Amino acid sequence: MTDTVDAAIRPENAGAAVDLDALRALAGPLFDALAGSGVAITVTDPRQHDDPIVFVNAAFEALTGYEAAEVMGRNCRFLQAEGVDPQAVAGLAGTLENAGSATVDLLNVRRDGTRFWNRLNVTTLKDAAGRPAFRFATQTDVSADYGDEDLGRELRSTRQRLAEAKERLRVAQTVAGAEGAWEWNIAQGRLVADARFAGLYGLDPIAAANGLPTSAFFDAVFAADRLRLKIAVAGALNGAEVFARDYRVLVDGELRWVSAKGRTYLDAQDRPVRFAGVLADITEQKRVEERLRIAQSAGGVGSFEYLSGFGTVEVSDTFCGLLGLQPATSLPVRTINAVVDPEDQPLIGGRESERLGPAFHEFRIQRADTGEARWLACRGEHQAAPSGGVSFIGVIYDVTATKRSEDRLRDLAAALEARVEVSNQERDRVWNLSRDLLSISGRDGAYRAVNPAWTALLGYEPVDLIGSVMGGLVHPDDREMAGELAAGLRTGEAVTDFDCRVLSKDGELHWINWTALPDGDFIYAVGRDITQRKLLEDQLRQSQKMEAVGQLTGGLAHDFNNMLTGMLGGMDMGRRRIAEGRIADAERFFEAATQSGQRAAALTHRLLAFSRRQSLDSRPLDVAALVASMEDLLRRTLGEQVRLETDVDADLWTAVADDNQLESAILNLAINARDAMPHGGRLTISARNVALSAARLAKSDRAEPGDYVEIGVADTGMGMSPDVLSKVFDPFFTTKPLGQGTGLGLSMIYGFVQQSRGHVEIESQEGAGAVIRLFLPRHRGEVADLVEETDDRAEGGAGETVLVVEDDPAVRLLVVQVLQELGYRAIETESGREAAPILQSARAIDLMITDVGLPGLNGRQLAEIARESRPDLPILFMTGYAEQAVDQSTFLAQGMEIITKPFAIDRFAKRISAILRRAEAEQA
Amino acid sequence: MVATVLIVDDSKLARIVVGKAIAALQPDWRRLEAGGADEALALFENEAIDLVILDFNMPGRDGLELAEELRGRFADLPIAVATANVQDEIIARARAANAAFIAKPVSEEGLRGFISGAALRLRSAGR
Amino acid sequence: MSIQTIFLEELERDALTELVNIGVSRAASSLRKMVGEQVLLSVPSVEVVTRQGAATLIRERENGELVAVRQDFEGVFSGRALLIFPQANSMALVHAVTGGALSHGEAVDMEDEALAETGNVVLNSCLATMANMLQKPLQMSLPEVLRGDGASLFTLTDQHADGGVVLFLYINFAINDRDIRGYIAMLMDLPSLQALRSLIADFIERVAGDVG
Repeated sequence: MTDTVDAAIRPENAGAAVDLDALRALAGPLFDALAGSGVAITVTDPRQHDDPIVFVNAAFEALTGYEAAEVMGRNCRFLQAEGVDPQAVAGLAGTLENAGSATVDLLNVRRDGTRFWNRLNVTTLKDAAGRPAFRFATQTDVSADYGDEDLGRELRSTRQRLAEAKERLRVAQTVAGAEGAWEWNIAQGRLVADARFAGLYGLDPIAAANGLPTSAFFDAVFAADRLRLKIAVAGALNGAEVFARDYRVLVDGELRWVSAKGRTYLDAQDRPVRFAGVLADITEQKRVEERLRIAQSAGGVGSFEYLSGFGTVEVSDTFCGLLGLQPATSLPVRTINAVVDPEDQPLIGGRESERLGPAFHEFRIQRADTGEARWLACRGEHQAAPSGGVSFIGVIYDVTATKRSEDRLRDLAAALEARVEVSNQERDRVWNLSRDLLSISGRDGAYRAVNPAWTALLGYEPVDLIGSVMGGLVHPDDREMAGELAAGLRTGEAVTDFDCRVLSKDGELHWINWTALPDGDFIYAVGRDITQRKLLEDQLRQSQKMEAVGQLTGGLAHDFNNMLTGMLGGMDMGRRRIAEGRIADAERFFEAATQSGQRAAALTHRLLAFSRRQSLDSRPLDVAALVASMEDLLRRTLGEQVRLETDVDADLWTAVADDNQLESAILNLAINARDAMPHGGRLTISARNVALSAARLAKSDRAEPGDYVEIGVADTGMGMSPDVLSKVFDPFFTTKPLGQGTGLGLSMIYGFVQQSRGHVEIESQEGAGAVIRLFLPRHRGEVADLVEETDDRAEGGAGETVLVVEDDPAVRLLVVQVLQELGYRAIETESGREAAPILQSARAIDLMITDVGLPGLNGRQLAEIARESRPDLPILFMTGYAEQAVDQSTFLAQGMEIITKPFAIDRFAKRISAILRRAEAEQA
Repeated sequence: MVATVLIVDDSKLARIVVGKAIAALQPDWRRLEAGGADEALALFENEAIDLVILDFNMPGRDGLELAEELRGRFADLPIAVATANVQDEIIARARAANAAFIAKPVSEEGLRGFISGAALRLRSAGR
Repeated sequence: MSIQTIFLEELERDALTELVNIGVSRAASSLRKMVGEQVLLSVPSVEVVTRQGAATLIRERENGELVAVRQDFEGVFSGRALLIFPQANSMALVHAVTGGALSHGEAVDMEDEALAETGNVVLNSCLATMANMLQKPLQMSLPEVLRGDGASLFTLTDQHADGGVVLFLYINFAINDRDIRGYIAMLMDLPSLQALRSLIADFIERVAGDVG
């Protein structure tokens, strides 16, 4: 420390230098000796305003941490700590005034913020005239005298750190505006937070300011977000510098979004010391963002799939989001259309929907959640469904921005007209910065101006385009349509939302969505790049399908497994009884197996009906008889705990519906009711005549006002919450645990009733049971139409020859066995190739029974071959599922019939004998 | 007292940085450099080396292997392993070879402890 | 829907992002000491992409020639770490790390050597810190300086040249007061990703217990 004096005596200005010389003159050589010692010294000049410091030595710098240059010219009071005893300070001044020297202990603050007790010895040096010329003060850290014990010192130091933390928080707050701030001391494991932070977290502000355990950082955090936040904080505590997290806090039952941004501060050894940051409430921002995210993101495309006649539409989550509805896999048509502005065409099932082919329309909606008005576009295709009816598959997306850009375009046009008068900087910015392709063409279609986006997106310089005619860049496949629209533009028709592919200069294709507007002598056009969206549309649809398949499979597998267990178990038991010789006993097991098999068959039947691959067999139906016939089955199904009551009007009308479907609907509803009454109860099945008014049918899509047969299924069970009630008709919606039931029941019933041009009502209150009413249209024809298949027993054969073509050996065996037992002769073949030569031969054949789905030649083709040589040969097709077989009128020619697998032997036998009898009668 | 320090690092830049830090702490010390383990061992044949600073990640034998070999031959030689590979395993192996661990990038501050400790040991060994 | 949700759950992504954050912060601190300037970091990005996708990610941001220091790592999980910056920044970085110690001529001669050592220190700090957090050791190869475009930097090894997906972590940094910016990137193939997942699960478990 030899050079410290020189280092410190480096006065900032010449005036001070003069003062020092004067000081030396007054104090003599003692001054330099003192200055060079380890005692901290300041010299002030009371002759100048506010008694400024004119000298400090190196020991002062060491004691306080201030450099000489920083303190020169300042009054010593800047060293005083907050809360310094004002009396002590006043006393010092007074004593100096009177005695010229004084000693006092003052609480001072070092440059680094630490405090110390400073013992000041001040002496006034007087000039020759006796006036105070300099005040010479020595300063000593006497903090030790004040810290009587370690505990006190510790306390002071903690308080001091706390004060520092508060100060830093205050600074952070000032910088950050209306945000809360925290400071997490990693070593001490304490969290200090300001009042705003405490407010956001629901903490006591005083406790927060004084320090809390760090766990307080997570206490208010919404449980679902807590672990993620912990992970992020763990990063920060382990040295990650950047901390930024949005999460939710739950305070007083209210969920709010906050955004926390922080930083970890390291010591010289890279050890994390503190973790501090600011917290802002972003609930409102999140709400807005969430709304906009869906509507504005390039992928904001919702997909849907609708089959005419159905009451529900399969939809994607984004579809729901675009309408402001909760995510669902399926939505009722009326829920969807309710969102659409009543003046616009409904989204689903508008009058135009009967026309096949691509469809496009734009419409306004009021979002179901926020009521916000948006413009949506719907693009889709109506196709003939394989089973008849029309499928409508498509996507919707938000075009509010496009609509707005039309407005912008109009504005732009107006601005351009005024170009000569006003150079509008704003407009140029839109023109230059827009990512959309903007162009101005003459009425001849030739480009007059294009904006820089053409270069950025497609690579064309203005010089490439100016003078050329619009549409030249359009992909050949889209050119025809583009040409028509361009012609329209010339005659003053606007183009909105036209998608076409455009070639970029380097040959890449871009999907561009065009809006163009003729105005005066010019055509103004805006094109937006939607290539990404087009890709997403496909992806979305595919993934949505996969989701549905996954959901369905779980439920079906369960149901089928149960039925298979019944079948396999029943047959196994039956076989054992036979082996034991207890033939009579075996019968009931086979009966059980048969029932399981029939249930499986019924399930596939319903599923096919559900997917519209099996048409309904609507015909006049005696509902009263049907209900009566089901009573026994229902009693068994419901068990002893549930009492079954029926209440059927005596003069019930005849309805029009598919009896199998109604039966399964009633069974389904009964089972649901049973499950809703785990502790027993009463199930009432009623049927009565009603006339439905237009008002009551307001929510129905298909039913017309008039007479109906009402079938009610009422239970005394637990009922449904409004939430469940709103979803019961959704496919796959089920309240049963995963894998227990497909969730298809009610939606299939809904589909069935809709297809039957009927109506469904459901009424329930939680805890007060439920009633579901099916309304089936009244039959207006003659009751005589009700023809049952007349004879009950199949007549035996008389040695007629039947050619059997079936590739499945088990089925073939069964069929041949039955034929032989009935007294027919069977020719067994397993393919069309094997059967064709027999058909072309001279062998006598009275009937051909063939599977439809054969390898190689299919059953229908084989029938053609047969008919070439044997035009009158009766043919019976067997089919498990064949799309073309559904429309029987085109599939079946004269003398052909079809029976669907699985079938009961009895029914099969009856069909065969009936066919042969008819053939015989015709020939006779 | 003049001591001889050997800096072993395949990176010339690293040798320069370490050399500069040593020069700032002990301007009088003689500094030798080696670009790898073999070159370092060769230097030990001809030179009286008082302390060694080794890089860990080097082509051929790595710094810890070299440290272990040197420890076998010179029980009291102050050795430091300097590396940015601050894995707990590496630090533990350096400790096991009775070598100091210095995190890269090497600074004057980071070297100070090792250098002053080594200086003290050399002095007490009577050199 | 996206490929990454197939491979990493949200929590796992979070945890991995944090691990990278910790490692890269340490790396930035090393770089800071080497150049004597503030080093600014972005929020790390963790994505599962194809190798071409990784190259595209960088190419979309940097269209000039790139320099990279590459270090392969091996252990319970393996992959490649890269310190990448535009070729145009290379000499500026060399000057920054050598400080006043070298003349311009010397610095030019030492360019690759200085880059390798810088990469060595930065990448080692990052990887070692991550290994410590996961409590599993990693072996690091010697640093190697590469020049070229994104695609050549992102090929892992020959047997993986199948165009499959990789876990791609990257973070971009900038050195204050100097016009130097770059990326720290990490690539891991799928088998490594599986191993990493289980380590991350352990990490999450530790974190769920011990913070607050």
